[in-house]
Amino acid sequence: MVKARETLIPNAVEPSATLANPSPGPPLAAASVMGLSKRFGKTSVLEDINFDVAEGEVLVLLGASGSGKTTILRIMAGLELPETGKVILHGKDVTDLPARERGVGVIFQSYALFPKMTVEKNIGYGLRIRKRKRKEIRDTVNELLALVQLEEHRKKYPSQLSGGQQQRVAIARTLAYNPEVLLFDEPFGALDTQTRVHLRREIKALLRKVNVPSIFITHDQEEALELGDRVAVLNQGHLEQVGTPYEIYSHPATEYVATFLGAANILEATVRNDFLEVGSAHLSAPLDKLKSGDCVKIVFRPEDVVLSKSEFIRPGVSKIATAQIEEISFVGAYERVRLRLERPEECATEESPYYLTTETPERQSTKAIIATRPKPEAAAIKLQIGDRVVVALTSFTVLGHKETQK
Amino acid sequence: MRHVRGFDVVRPLSIGMLVFMMLPLVFLPLASIFIFGTSKGLNSFWAALMAPEAIFALKLSMATSFWATVFNVLFGLFAAYVLSRYNFWGRNALIVTISLPTAIPTAVAGFALLLLWGPYGTLGRFMTPNYEIMFTAGAIILANIFVTFPLAFGVIKPVFDTMSRSLEEASATIGATRWQTFWHVTLPSLRGAIVSGALLTFARAVGEFGSTILVSGNLAGRTQTAPLYIFAKFNEGQIEAANAIAIVLALFSFLIFSVLFFARDWLDVD
Repeated sequence: MVKARETLIPNAVEPSATLANPSPGPPLAAASVMGLSKRFGKTSVLEDINFDVAEGEVLVLLGASGSGKTTILRIMAGLELPETGKVILHGKDVTDLPARERGVGVIFQSYALFPKMTVEKNIGYGLRIRKRKRKEIRDTVNELLALVQLEEHRKKYPSQLSGGQQQRVAIARTLAYNPEVLLFDEPFGALDTQTRVHLRREIKALLRKVNVPSIFITHDQEEALELGDRVAVLNQGHLEQVGTPYEIYSHPATEYVATFLGAANILEATVRNDFLEVGSAHLSAPLDKLKSGDCVKIVFRPEDVVLSKSEFIRPGVSKIATAQIEEISFVGAYERVRLRLERPEECATEESPYYLTTETPERQSTKAIIATRPKPEAAAIKLQIGDRVVVALTSFTVLGHKETQK
Repeated sequence: MRHVRGFDVVRPLSIGMLVFMMLPLVFLPLASIFIFGTSKGLNSFWAALMAPEAIFALKLSMATSFWATVFNVLFGLFAAYVLSRYNFWGRNALIVTISLPTAIPTAVAGFALLLLWGPYGTLGRFMTPNYEIMFTAGAIILANIFVTFPLAFGVIKPVFDTMSRSLEEASATIGATRWQTFWHVTLPSLRGAIVSGALLTFARAVGEFGSTILVSGNLAGRTQTAPLYIFAKFNEGQIEAANAIAIVLALFSFLIFSVLFFARDWLDVD
């Protein structure tokens, strides 16, 4: 089951190699889950989860607490059984194998280092229970200690190490037995913000070196975007979208993904023959699969908004409305502006499912959006509360219909 | 206590009162053993200790307590594992039953064993005289097991309860079998609890009197344990003989509790 160790650090892959191929076909997948579902009693925790992880790739499962991400990880590790679905590691169906026969490496949130074993004993544990020769164990432990830069701490006990050091021991402990895949359960959850940012860069570099396919789970969107070659967004037990950080940030498939990953403005638009109608503005957009009269939502980030005091706006951006500035705040690197659109932007159709929202009719009639402007622009074109400005977009995404059923 | 002005009289008074109250209750009885035992010189103390029956009684106490401890630690470990790992119907009833022997008077415990295993007992009547359990060292071990039953369990179970499951899960994902996980991961974390459980059990078993006197028959040189020896010699008026063994037992329990007290930190290093 465990492949012979040739060298601890195989040739590092070009980081872009995995990025260039964001959705590898099944033969490439190092690990995949197919049609996973799970319920605890009457509540459904997971519904039909499918994803692949390619060789050397880092996939981040991103979701709020209770989204089922930990359950997916535990099912992949063999610590929990799925109701339906399969877990496949390097082409082998391991769904019915117990945890110890799967050869996966799990890095627990609490690290779960063995408290009565020194650092080197912890790292060598996987090889000791596999009855490897002493020399082999010693050599591997030495190599791994060097890899995670803990040589001088080898004789220490876990309680004598910092959180970051403990985590590196936990990773080294799993690497010792050549895991098929590494599973990280909120590995930075117990750390303060500064250490967390520092550590995730360290770990990303480490994973590039060892080139083992990895799955992280986190609820921190910034962490997900920075760590992941791809990110899978989970919402209440179902997968909303899987894609590169750029894809899910710039082209969210659902409203949930759009709002979960940072600030997002959402407006309604009506589909016309070859354009989208937002209020009185017309936007050109790819409209395949949508028919005229449909009501859709468009999403854009605060940084996609261009504000102009005159009717003249630069080419390449699409005007959507005029608005009045309600609030301006300075947030370090940029200026944040809240604006109220002057025309209702809702779909005209009566049967629009969006009226099921909790918004009152008054609030629906005009809508606030958020824009951000980089410092140079904010300095060049000063805006004040009460100013009327033209609002235009550099880019936006049309959300699918799927979301309306939720 | 800096909220009082000047010299705080309550402090020395209360400390003095505590010591004074403990004097007749604990200190003086203990001291009198040593004062009396050494009053006729160390030679007579040594002679009393070296009497064959005295040595036999001490050895028998140690041996029977040892086997009762071995059994109860293993049993306590097993019971704690089952009762903290699995949730099942009747679990609390089992926990209460295991803990019950501490609440039962030891004489009642001995009597109950006699009623079960004695020559006319429920099970004992089916045993041939050659395999008689009562009035042998085996009976003493049985009685010791009964009265110290919950001690090791009581120390080990809380450690099991608070032990993080993720340690065992981690071990499993690394590739260990259940047995390997238990041996390399679970057991080391229980080291402190096992040692203190064993010491408690042993100390309690060495001193056991009420149940032992009923099931052993108190036969000098055959089934007489150290506490029974003290009682017998005292009844015969041989105070020095009784006192020599009393000193040994007192020192012995003092030693065990010192180990328990000072070795806690050492046993639980992580």
